[in-house]
Amino acid sequence: MLLEYIAIGVMIALATVIAVIAIGLGELFGPKKRSSVKSEPYESGIAPIGPGTRRMPVRFYLIAVLFILFDIEVIFFLPWAVVFRQLGLFGLAEMAIFIVILLIGYIYAWKKGALEWE
Amino acid sequence: MEFILQPLTLMTFFPLLGVLVLLFIPGDKKNALRWTALIASLITFLISIWVLTMFNASNPDLQLVAKYNWITVAGWNIQYYLGIDGLSILLVLLTTFLSPISILSTWTAVEERVKEFLLFFLLLEVGMTGVFLAQDLFLFYIFWEFTLVPMYFLIGIWGGPRRIYAALKFFLYTMAGSILMLLAILWLGIYQGTFSVPDLIAKGGIDPHTQLWLFIAFAAAFAIKVPMWPLHSWLPDAHVEAPTAGSVILAGVLLKMGTYGFLRFNLTLFPQAAVQAAPVIAVLAVIGIIYGAAVSYAQADIKKLVAYSSVSHLGFVMLGLFALNPQGIQGGILQMINHGLSTGALFLLVGMIYEQTHTREFKVYGGLWKVTPIFGTIFLIVSLSSMGLPGLNGFVGEFTILLGAFGSTVLNSPWYAGFAALGVIMAAVYILYMFQKMFMGPEGSIVEEVRKHGHALRDLNWREIVTIVPLLIFIFWIGLYPAPFFHLMAPSVDKLTAAFQAAALAMR
Amino acid sequence: MPPLNFSIILPLLVLTVWACLLLLVDLFVKNKGITALLAALGLAISLGITLSQVGATGTSFNNMVVLDGFSTFVNALLLVSGLFGIALAYGYVKRMGIERGEYYTLLLFSVVGMMLMAQAADLIIVFLALEMLSIPLYVLAAFARPNVNSEEAGLKYFLLGAFSTGFVVYGIALVFGATRTTSLAGIVSAANAASSGTSSLLLLTIGSALILVGLGFKVAAVPFHMWTPDVYQGAPSAVTAFMAAGAKIAGFAALLRVFSLAFPSLASDITPIIAVISALTMIVGNIIAIAQTNIKRLLAYSSIAHAGYILMAFVPYGQKGVVATSVAAGLFYLVSYALTNFGAWAVVIALEKAEGNPSTGSGQRGLEIADYAGIGRKHPALAAAMTVFMFSLTGIPPTLGFVGKFYLFRAAIAGQFYLLAVIGVLTSLISAYYYLRVVVTMYMREGEPETTSEPWLNLTWGLAAVLTVIVSLVPAPLFDWASQAVLKLF
Repeated sequence: MLLEYIAIGVMIALATVIAVIAIGLGELFGPKKRSSVKSEPYESGIAPIGPGTRRMPVRFYLIAVLFILFDIEVIFFLPWAVVFRQLGLFGLAEMAIFIVILLIGYIYAWKKGALEWE
Repeated sequence: MEFILQPLTLMTFFPLLGVLVLLFIPGDKKNALRWTALIASLITFLISIWVLTMFNASNPDLQLVAKYNWITVAGWNIQYYLGIDGLSILLVLLTTFLSPISILSTWTAVEERVKEFLLFFLLLEVGMTGVFLAQDLFLFYIFWEFTLVPMYFLIGIWGGPRRIYAALKFFLYTMAGSILMLLAILWLGIYQGTFSVPDLIAKGGIDPHTQLWLFIAFAAAFAIKVPMWPLHSWLPDAHVEAPTAGSVILAGVLLKMGTYGFLRFNLTLFPQAAVQAAPVIAVLAVIGIIYGAAVSYAQADIKKLVAYSSVSHLGFVMLGLFALNPQGIQGGILQMINHGLSTGALFLLVGMIYEQTHTREFKVYGGLWKVTPIFGTIFLIVSLSSMGLPGLNGFVGEFTILLGAFGSTVLNSPWYAGFAALGVIMAAVYILYMFQKMFMGPEGSIVEEVRKHGHALRDLNWREIVTIVPLLIFIFWIGLYPAPFFHLMAPSVDKLTAAFQAAALAMR
Repeated sequence: MPPLNFSIILPLLVLTVWACLLLLVDLFVKNKGITALLAALGLAISLGITLSQVGATGTSFNNMVVLDGFSTFVNALLLVSGLFGIALAYGYVKRMGIERGEYYTLLLFSVVGMMLMAQAADLIIVFLALEMLSIPLYVLAAFARPNVNSEEAGLKYFLLGAFSTGFVVYGIALVFGATRTTSLAGIVSAANAASSGTSSLLLLTIGSALILVGLGFKVAAVPFHMWTPDVYQGAPSAVTAFMAAGAKIAGFAALLRVFSLAFPSLASDITPIIAVISALTMIVGNIIAIAQTNIKRLLAYSSIAHAGYILMAFVPYGQKGVVATSVAAGLFYLVSYALTNFGAWAVVIALEKAEGNPSTGSGQRGLEIADYAGIGRKHPALAAAMTVFMFSLTGIPPTLGFVGKFYLFRAAIAGQFYLLAVIGVLTSLISAYYYLRVVVTMYMREGEPETTSEPWLNLTWGLAAVLTVIVSLVPAPLFDWASQAVLKLF
């Protein structure tokens, strides 16, 4: 059974070897000249503005978390929609419960002021 | 109602009523507290006398039995099982007898936190009585461990300067032994199917190898409590630091719980192992006798001397018990009582003088005979009793034990008794040495010291005499006419030793 | 599709809905005391339903959850723990200035997770329940933010908890790989079928060992205990009390059910592992506890040590004649531990102060053992209660801890693990040393302790102390219930 996987193993081994050879040769024979321009962060060829690490308002994190919460949860609607007819009333009720739970979270977040910027 | 009115149950738990009443008396009414505790313990003593009148001395079996199912679920067979027989009746009486005396001795000695002191004391009495009456191993273990708690507080709160160390040492030493016993108890409960001691004896049939292990586990608990050499090192600390009443009860009753444990459990439950182990225990006992006596002589502190003399005296008890013949065991039991009386009395007396002088060093005492003649006379009688002068109680016990050890077929050697007799002589040496240092010779510096504080060293007052005289009565009674005491225990002891003969025969 | 029988999870369901609604209600309630009372009411209702279900059995949701004596017993215990948790928090959060309504909602959600754990009959549900009980606890541990210690506790608990959950999931995956099922009943039959030395048996063993590791984290067994002292110390005391009891009960409920139900055929491999973990836990927990000067850390190590004792109930899980009584002993010990634990933490909370006095140096917040000096004189009832708890934790009669240990050692002896039993009693002896030190400090040293007296708090330690003593004298009904509870398992 394990023999079926041997092709993958050979593939991984070859990829590793070739990569090591390619990088190793370049490292060995390539010329290395450092300059201040070369060590700048790469920004699609445009001259960089400001420091490399920029500070972001912490509120973005909250917004991001809320976005992930509600956005990702909505994904669950998709499979439900696909088998909606098979699940019937049971599926509808389950989804309603799901939405109610989301709604509770939404009301909580709203009331706590998580959606306000200031 | 029927449950509580049984004499043994009533006797065991009566002090709890005192505890309840104490809880409702405010802590600053010290005399009310003292009277309550004293009356509670006196009534307990009266109940024990009532029990004695109902006790049929010619019956070797358990009497006045109180027996109820307690925990009988999921394969457990634990009973509330109290009973009294010739092995325990004297010890129970000793307990109920010494308790009011100890409470009386605290009248002026304890002024701090009186309420808590008396609470713990009455709780201790419940535990001690229970230990001597319990016939179910689970119940016994609960009482056994429970005695630790109040005693721990008595030493730790009201003790001397190193009290915390002494209390912890006392607790940990005793617990170390008893948890091994707990495992053995569990083994018996699981593989023999019952915790009831009479049932276990009747069932028997444990193979000798297992018996020996169980014997060792039980012996670990009891040997520490006795304490047998070399497990005795907690005793001097506990005795020296404990308040007087604590010392009295510690020496008078708590140590007897160890010897009683050997008697009640090790000898009856594991007869074959007992026969096998007898020589080893007898050797340890003899070493204890001589070691205790020798170390006593080297002490500079009165309480320490008495503490080490306990090691010596209890060595006698152990030797008597493990002679495994009627004489030895009877002597052992009587010696337990004797030691309780005379050592208890010694601690009381030391406490009485300590209350005035606040020191227990020999070197400051001297010439007290002239200053406090009543105290001196009583001290002399008690000392002589402790060293085993004929006509006083100590002699009867030690003599019977030596006879038993000589005649023992299990020990089968005169050397045990021979060396033990040496201990009697050594006792005379250290006791007389103590007496001489305290009462003879020129007046010690302490007499002057006390006088400097404005009042001379006084002799015993009425309360103190009332405290000590009951003990003296028994010291003389047992010394001159011990027959009633032997009579109480003889049938039970005979029954016990008969079992040994069978066991010893089975082993050959 | 079979009809769903909601009555199987009715207490859980009620509590979930209640918690959701409480979250909303709390938004409009100014007085957070009302939130607390409502939360307690929810727990009480759920407890009532649970108790009415005693004796009922059944399964639902495709045999993924089960209702039986075991789950009813554990659920009742968990709900009572929840009530204790709220009683402890009621005044505490106010005093510490961390009063927020979410506290109670989170606590309810955590209880829901714990209860689901007790009812899980499928490894997926075990995992789900584990997450449901843990995540609210992570938040609760950090509840005293911006207090640095509390935040540290929350983060540590979260990271190590997530790590341990990973073990559980990996273990479940391996078990699934070996048996093609996650249902406990299915695993047994698959394991029996495969018990002829094939490679899947190896996978199954490794999988079960990984589940053991993961749950070992939750119950704080050595060597997976490293997080415990810091988290217990850093988290608000009321949270710690709930965490120590609740998470342990749930973790052990899962261990007991999963191992005795799904993996009895692996006993010869797993039993030695559990025995070693149990012995190590008792030894390490008790020995390190000796060195502690902070009462919260002391209780943390004591909690580790007690995990070792409870594990002892598990060691003979493969022996047919013994397993029922030993699991019952485990349950009984959980009750005794929970009760004693809440009592002891209630006393800790009574002495804890919101603000320390910087000039006195150590012991600023009333959390050092030295701060207990003089309680015996100033607050005799409180000191007596604490003494009862310390004795109970040591295992000295007449307290519940003694009866619990008696039953546990019986399990070890009946399973013929004599060495383990000896280790158990010797470590109990060691534990006596540090528990007594608390008693020594309370009664035998002089001091001016400051305590707080709040009705619910006083009720907690008072009730716990009285019950600890009384139930130890009449343990039969409780033990009877515990042994009835496990009867249906085997």
